[in-house]
Amino acid sequence: MRAETLKGHLDGILLAVLEPGACHGYAIMEALRVRSDGQLDLPTGTVYPALHRLERAGLIQASWSVAGGRRRRVYQLTAAGRRALDTERSTWRDFSAAVTALLLPAAPAVSPA
Amino acid sequence: MNRPAAAGAGSAVERYLAEVTARLPGPARAQVGIVAELRSGLLDATDAHARTGLPPAEAALAAAREFGDPAQVAVGFGAEIAASQARRVAVTLLVTGPLVGLLWVATALASHLGLPFAPHWPWAGPAPGLRAVIYLVAVAAVALAAGVTAWAAVLGIATTGRLTRWRPARPRQAPMAAAIAGFGAVSADGLGLALLAAQLAIAPGKLSPVLAGTAAAASVARMMLARRAAHRCLAIRASLT
Repeated sequence: MRAETLKGHLDGILLAVLEPGACHGYAIMEALRVRSDGQLDLPTGTVYPALHRLERAGLIQASWSVAGGRRRRVYQLTAAGRRALDTERSTWRDFSAAVTALLLPAAPAVSPA
Repeated sequence: MNRPAAAGAGSAVERYLAEVTARLPGPARAQVGIVAELRSGLLDATDAHARTGLPPAEAALAAAREFGDPAQVAVGFGAEIAASQARRVAVTLLVTGPLVGLLWVATALASHLGLPFAPHWPWAGPAPGLRAVIYLVAVAAVALAAGVTAWAAVLGIATTGRLTRWRPARPRQAPMAAAIAGFGAVSADGLGLALLAAQLAIAPGKLSPVLAGTAAAASVARMMLARRAAHRCLAIRASLT
């Protein structure tokens, strides 16, 4: 899946990856790969500016931490981020249901009488 | 954690970081944290590739490939730097504006300067009516410049903070708002200094020297900083694609 396909959904996906707990940038990317079964083909470098944008919007917060001698910027969801994730989920459910109904109709269309 | 791969990853990782940094707008201060975060991510990626059996140099190259086009990463961070710089300028102008303004008001009060229509109008001269009008226009111009500064600064803050959750990103808007606020502050302070110069020329004895000197020094300092910040914001804006 290419980055263009993800456009408009990346924010929600990043919030979802951070839902279980705090993560640094590369761990977020690895979680994206694992949770999508390797379907997300996103340049890792582009995830970082998106994280900064979400931080600016107050949806996540970041702090520096040192582990294994390496300084990393660790991100976690804020209360507003959790609410935004709930909204993203509900919007996605409606959107995907509508698109699925259109692209993958369960039964052939009824012909007019 | 052992970092055998990262230890040998210097060249490819640093080359990648240099390519990103060369394309980032803004002062080095704004880039330091970004580069540090990217470096730790690249070293994490290098370790991950090394765990698959790649030698350190190849693992570093694979990490750089995985991070994608440096230009694309720089574009993403460019918008963030633009937003943070614009916000910093807007907040500084919004905080310092009222402080400098208060200094000028204190100067006017302590110097017993009257308004043009007040009975104790201090300026004597052959055409007090015309002078009063010029004075009033100058004061109104200061107020207008201060108003534009405040409006643009508030816009700059609003378009770079939490409101971005609900509105589409327009990376070029905030630096422009901050630049307008900066030039507005330059105008307000410049007009204030011009009024002071006029007062000095006409009735210097009426001025409170300490307050007038402090207000003038504050305005001069603010003018210089605001002008530089405004030009910097315009330069960052121009660098955004």
